[in-house]
Amino acid sequence: MTPGHAHQAGPEAAQLPALCLVVLAAAVYLMAAHRLRRRGSAWSWTWQASFITGAVLLAVALTLPVPAGPFTSHMSRHLLAGMVAPVLLVLGRPLRLALRVLRPSRVRRAVLAVVHSRPAGWMVSPAVAVVLDMGGLWLLYRTPLLAASGHHGWLHAVVHMHVVVAGTLFAFAVCQVEPVRRRWSLPWRAGALLVGGAAHAVLAKTLYATPPPGTAFAAPDLRAGAQLMYYGGDAVELALAAVVAAQWYAVTGRAHRRAFRRARRRTTAAPGPAPVT
Amino acid sequence: MSQGRRSARTQGEGERGRSVAAAALVGAAAMAAVDEIVFHQVLGWHHFFDRSTPAIGLLSDGLLHTAELLALVAGFVMWADLRRRRALSAAHASAGLLLGLGGFQLFDGLVNHKVLWLHQIRYGVPDLLPYDVAWNGAGLVLVAAGTVLAVRARRVGRRAQPGTRTGPDAGPDTDQEEIHR
Repeated sequence: MTPGHAHQAGPEAAQLPALCLVVLAAAVYLMAAHRLRRRGSAWSWTWQASFITGAVLLAVALTLPVPAGPFTSHMSRHLLAGMVAPVLLVLGRPLRLALRVLRPSRVRRAVLAVVHSRPAGWMVSPAVAVVLDMGGLWLLYRTPLLAASGHHGWLHAVVHMHVVVAGTLFAFAVCQVEPVRRRWSLPWRAGALLVGGAAHAVLAKTLYATPPPGTAFAAPDLRAGAQLMYYGGDAVELALAAVVAAQWYAVTGRAHRRAFRRARRRTTAAPGPAPVT
Repeated sequence: MSQGRRSARTQGEGERGRSVAAAALVGAAAMAAVDEIVFHQVLGWHHFFDRSTPAIGLLSDGLLHTAELLALVAGFVMWADLRRRRALSAAHASAGLLLGLGGFQLFDGLVNHKVLWLHQIRYGVPDLLPYDVAWNGAGLVLVAAGTVLAVRARRVGRRAQPGTRTGPDAGPDTDQEEIHR
């Protein structure tokens, strides 16, 4: 495989439909948010900005050329499309928006049935999501899959779709901002972050030393790409951890206020020994 | 979350422990960041990946590196939570910060550099010993300073609030009132 092959075989075939899909998703989101607001309901502008930025970054990753070596440019696309954009898309709460904007109908019932189904529940559990995301990444870079995807346009498209979908799934499971079947506790989500981050960091370090099987990238290009993967992964990891931490801060704050109110009620009801709160 | 309820009840000793823990998490992560920025990026002394690293070393490095990132966020949010409830003990927090800084430095110098053989402090120098001594000596000094501060904070705390060790309902009830208006 010649350097740069990985991004010359596939994109022509799959680029346009993928780009159309991204634009369509952004347009539908904007229309839904607009409809909700016209109805008099509020929809956060921050969430909307997050989703639209994610869609724009995804489109950029799909189309814009990166002025760097082939492996580094491949890696920067993966970072954008598979890690940064998914977090922003998930924080835009598209599912919540859909459920709020759809009136009771067959469509809404169908969406709810899928969201509340057992398989969907398993898919968005932190443990499964981290295996799907990181397992796919290890398969891509530590088997001849990357080399093969350079030769077959369809495989290239499937691989890239998996990167985006699995990245979204991981962000979805860790952030847990959507109404789904089961809520996972903080240790589960932090554990998924730890395992996922470690798997990502180790893979990046091994890529620094040895290229994916069946490819021949120049050493400086490989090293730059691997370091981009390592530090870029750190940035996304920090962002996800900040989301989880902010949720914890809000939840404990509410718990403190509740506990305090309860204690005060007890004091006013029964003047006696001070409450232990 | 049950954690919130528990910490609201145990105002005395528990909050000091949390002050130490929050600051130690931030300290360890801060030292890791200094290591990454100064020695890897600015000076270029450490290697990103030394090819002689065994697989287990690579795995532990990945886990540790990720844990540092999470520790930074967790430490800050715990610290913010303590501040919000006015339950932060500043003396205990500074002890924890130094313990975290020095603890990470020592761990990095002994376990990562010497046991797991991840990478060395500097490459292409005739003798590594002075570097190792300086590295671990600095860690030891930080840990010693942290220990002194911790002992002092404990002594001062005990003198100031002799009641806190017997019952958690002694002092800070009035504090709580102010925060949760």
